[in-house]
Amino acid sequence: MTVQAPDLPALNTRGLSSSGVGASGWRLAWRRLRRNRAAMTGGIIFLLILFCCFPGAPLWVHFAAHRGPEVQNLTGTIMAGGHRVPVVSAGGTPIGPGLRGQYLLGADSNGRDLFVRVLYGGRISLLVGIASSALCTILALLLAIPAGYRGGAVDRGVSGILDLIWSFPVYLLMVAISASLMVSGMNLGPIHLSSSSLLIPIVVIAVVMIPYVARPIRGEVLALREREFVEAAIAHGAGPLRVMMREILPNVMGTTLVMFTLIIANNILTLAGLSFLGVGVSLLTPEWGNIIQAGFSQIVTSPMQTIAPGVAILLTSVALNVFGDGLRDALDPHGSGRTGA
Amino acid sequence: MSGTAGVGPGSTPTPLRGRGGAWGAWTRRRRLAAGPRGRGVTALRFWTTRLAGLVAVLFALSVITFLIFNVIPGGNPALRMAGRHPTPQLIANISRDWGFDKPIWTQYLDMMNKLLISHNLISYQDQTAVLPAIGRGIPKTASLAIGAAVIWLFFGVLFGVLSGLNQGRWIDRIMTVLSMGGISVPIFWLGAILLYLLTFKFRSFFLFSWIPPGGYVPFGSSPLQWAEHLFLPWICLAVTSAGFYTRVVRNSLLEVQTADYVRTARAMGLSPTRVLLRHVLRTALIPVMSLFAMDFGAALGGTVILIEPVFGINGIGAYAEQAVLQLDLPPLMALTLYGGFFIVIMNTFADLLFRRLDPRINLD
Amino acid sequence: MRCERGRRRQGAVCGAVLCAAVIAACGSGSGSHSGTGTSSGSQGAATSVGTPVNGGTLQAGMAADPDHLDPGLGYTNESWEIEEATNNGLLAYKRASGVTGAQIVPDLATAMPTVSDHGLTYTFHMRTGVRFSPPVNRAVEPSDIKFSIERLFRINSGGESFYTGIVGAAHYAKTRRGGISGIVADDRTHTIVFHLTKPDGTFPNYLAIPFSFALPKGTPNSDISTNSKWRVATGPYMISSYVPRQSITLVRNTNFHQWSSATPNGHLDKIDVTIGVTADQAVNEIADGQLEWYFEAVAPDRLAQIKAQYPSRLYTFNPEEVWFFTLNTRRPPFNNVLVRQAVNYATSRAALVKIFGGQGAASESIVPKGIGGYVSTDFYPYDPAKAKQLVARSHTKGMAVTVWGADFDPIPQAVQYMASVLDSLGYKASVKTLNAGVYYDTMAAEKTDPQISWNNWGEDFPDAEDFIDTQLNGENITNVGNNDMSNLDVPQINHAIDAARLMRVGPARTAAWERINTEISTKQAPMVVYMDSLLPKFVSPRLHGLVFNGTYYELLPEMWLSK
Repeated sequence: MTVQAPDLPALNTRGLSSSGVGASGWRLAWRRLRRNRAAMTGGIIFLLILFCCFPGAPLWVHFAAHRGPEVQNLTGTIMAGGHRVPVVSAGGTPIGPGLRGQYLLGADSNGRDLFVRVLYGGRISLLVGIASSALCTILALLLAIPAGYRGGAVDRGVSGILDLIWSFPVYLLMVAISASLMVSGMNLGPIHLSSSSLLIPIVVIAVVMIPYVARPIRGEVLALREREFVEAAIAHGAGPLRVMMREILPNVMGTTLVMFTLIIANNILTLAGLSFLGVGVSLLTPEWGNIIQAGFSQIVTSPMQTIAPGVAILLTSVALNVFGDGLRDALDPHGSGRTGA
Repeated sequence: MSGTAGVGPGSTPTPLRGRGGAWGAWTRRRRLAAGPRGRGVTALRFWTTRLAGLVAVLFALSVITFLIFNVIPGGNPALRMAGRHPTPQLIANISRDWGFDKPIWTQYLDMMNKLLISHNLISYQDQTAVLPAIGRGIPKTASLAIGAAVIWLFFGVLFGVLSGLNQGRWIDRIMTVLSMGGISVPIFWLGAILLYLLTFKFRSFFLFSWIPPGGYVPFGSSPLQWAEHLFLPWICLAVTSAGFYTRVVRNSLLEVQTADYVRTARAMGLSPTRVLLRHVLRTALIPVMSLFAMDFGAALGGTVILIEPVFGINGIGAYAEQAVLQLDLPPLMALTLYGGFFIVIMNTFADLLFRRLDPRINLD
Repeated sequence: MRCERGRRRQGAVCGAVLCAAVIAACGSGSGSHSGTGTSSGSQGAATSVGTPVNGGTLQAGMAADPDHLDPGLGYTNESWEIEEATNNGLLAYKRASGVTGAQIVPDLATAMPTVSDHGLTYTFHMRTGVRFSPPVNRAVEPSDIKFSIERLFRINSGGESFYTGIVGAAHYAKTRRGGISGIVADDRTHTIVFHLTKPDGTFPNYLAIPFSFALPKGTPNSDISTNSKWRVATGPYMISSYVPRQSITLVRNTNFHQWSSATPNGHLDKIDVTIGVTADQAVNEIADGQLEWYFEAVAPDRLAQIKAQYPSRLYTFNPEEVWFFTLNTRRPPFNNVLVRQAVNYATSRAALVKIFGGQGAASESIVPKGIGGYVSTDFYPYDPAKAKQLVARSHTKGMAVTVWGADFDPIPQAVQYMASVLDSLGYKASVKTLNAGVYYDTMAAEKTDPQISWNNWGEDFPDAEDFIDTQLNGENITNVGNNDMSNLDVPQINHAIDAARLMRVGPARTAAWERINTEISTKQAPMVVYMDSLLPKFVSPRLHGLVFNGTYYELLPEMWLSK
């Protein structure tokens, strides 16, 4: 359920300009990416999923389902197969999937439309996945570039922090923080977080993944700093900050971009895991993970509740992973970065 | 989570890859070894730094865990222990007996003492002894993790080789699909779906009728049943890493196939398969071995928390899930340190493997 | 995959309040019991099919560890179920189901106590010849009973509050030295005398619950659940091994000789309990034949299926338990009675019963059916329109409300339903669920002060006092561990409750409780009661002799396996 992206070495130096990938480099990469049919398929599928969840969801509600993701319906009935049937039976079993606008995938145990919930649930899962990915990448850059470039005490300090985060049994850390904050949120000085705030999973997942993203970037910075153009910049009198921003940062964007893409899938999976353990997003708000968790207890009588969101996660992750893989290949065609070494 | 970054803590993450690939690097190793940066580090210094690092990390982990549960409001253990009819006197007595009224750093030292020295750490939730409970869970979790590790290593490498040798053909495509799927699937979901399909819906199908619907049987009682009960959990725990190793080995094979020394060997007349298996595989497996060490540590220290509750295996993972949701600090402290310990040890081991096996790494 | 962990007992603390009538058999004849404790819709549980067969090993399952297998500490249905078979006290509830099961009879005592000094002194004669199981082996003496009760205070037991009405107990709780002066045990004459600070007709009940069961002098001041040297039995079975989170094994107590028909011999030779079996797993394994009996209820979503497929193997017991939502009368918007009534009108009990898989009967009475004080009136027939009118009159529309619940299935669905009810009334509802292990004490903490929370209450004693007095008498509100979670404190009602408690058991007392029940429900509406729960059990076709006692639950010594 995680993606392990190997470290990327410095992009092959043969034939590239002094400023790393450069304009022609990006265009070349794009052309290579376009030719990779699998990657393009993955990218398109991901965009389709984004479309379904964001603009698509309210459209579906408006035209077909007529019922939002949080509208419960324990006592109602619908027409199915010519009969009027209760949405939730007397024994508590919700209706199953059927070819109709309402309850296309059936209902959940509170009588909500499962398909609508999966669509809206995608919003939260994708939002948290992308936001935590972005936050993680930014924090990783902030840590890895100085660490790699300056070396010495800075590097040791940062590496120590990364080691610490990495050694913490991940789920215990995340669940511990989430569970503690569950009861009453957090009030630390100026920071007020209600316990249902999405910021909690976003920040927690982002922090926990920092070492994963920071190490490859740091490795690349270590390689880059020996390069001639960096030495040239220093010889021209550029201070360390300027070198880091002007020379190093643009050159690690390739790696960074790939890592960013690949960990979105990982973070969505992690959020689902947190929901499974009971400390994810609040129950009323649909999210792929907590729909699965709610459906677990009814898996025998109403399996679609578990199957549908899981397939959604699987599809999204595969699309992202395939695309990310293709992206990495496009940015580093000679394959020296694919071995994980 | 068996996430890895391909390297262990504190090491140089990226080998310098220049021209010549693995072959060239091998010949350069001697020169590197002699140079100032490649003088190498003595074993003693290596191990002392590592040990100090381990202790530092464990100390930091224990402090962080303790703070999370004491500073962030999360429950009153005295009230919990007092039950549904507490009298103020009862709660006062419990606080006194358990030391909840002492200053926070005294409580911390007290807990560390009970955990590491006097070994009588007791849970807040049900007042059972924590360390024996962990001890009883270890065989189950170890069975789960070790079995899965063997499976993912074997199949990951096997599929990777098959894939790499047959690039572009249908077998490669199938392996790619499977490995991508493996990396992307939520494993707790996979477990539930497999349980539902194989032990309930299609129970009567002869291929599946022997699969038990969860639980654990000790190896000593019945090796066959032990394996039957662990079959699905092994698959679920192995699927992510197996998928990943397939990709890694495949890509490594592909890369090396175009390397100079391979072309040389072929030009010299050696059969391509022989070349691959002898020279290439060794290089290709280097990253896998260090990844494996880290993944194993992470599995033991963490991912089991997702698998064990689904399959009803009462090991460390299930204990951790229970303890953390019940905000039960004593077992959580013990489990965090145990998990952290394993992760650091395996990361160190991975680092060691990595340095020894890959001659291109600059030894710090 | 979560199922309800052994429900913590909720019971009344009746001590320390004036109770002039001496109630010898608490609850007998109180109101109309409707044949509770027997199965409904399937073969009778109380009467076995055929003659009992001795022997055999029962394969049982349990969801999680019982909280303690130490009679001094155990306070869940699971631990009491086991302790009923292994240990004994001076008195016991009659080992039967229904009304009969509410009667108190002598166990280690030779007869019911002699009560003197206007209800302040209870004198018991103890049997001779009852021995502790190996390795202690010696005879049980009155000083063992005194020791066991004093030990409760030394180990900070949750049950110590039942015995604070004994002279010297409060002092002992503070100092824990010198013993409890109000318990006088004489091993020579085999008598034991209890002196109470105030007359208390419910006192015999406290000697029938496991907290007072006899443990040998010298038992350490710590949890003996896993201490096989001291975890000894006096009853027909003993625990031969307990591996936490793994298994419990009960075998016949070699030192047990049946001393009266009230304490049966037991039919089974051995009971093997596997710990950690989830509810769903249990259904699968019992259907398969791998498991024969499960401590907890059937998984709610499988209930309909089992009713259809295996009707003869489904037993439905009545544990005299109500499930409801508590409304906090001290916090807005529920400090306004109009809002509380509105929520009652807007809640469809039928919908909630559906969520629980039909595992109970819709009810609005805080006192369960089968206990005097039960009222079957539909106080608040489902009327969303009327509810909205009431909310409009209260001018509280738009307020934020958090609904709390435990996290075992299907409580999260129930709290989400309640949130939708509040939303429909114009409030902004959110939901919070907590692990069952921390839920109850978090709700009881002053800091939390929940607006509306899910709750349940099962009988400890078959009397309405247990339900109404503890939870709705304002005089019982405490700062810590408050059981009156709605914080209801209406002096008129408090007085009525106090008066009812003094009455002798009979039709007048029942009528008084019924009046109070109606008054509270209609005028105050501090709760949204929705279900009188049933306990469905799915068992192996070979298992018979399932007798359900309201206090001890299924009686293990009554069970037997056919060939």
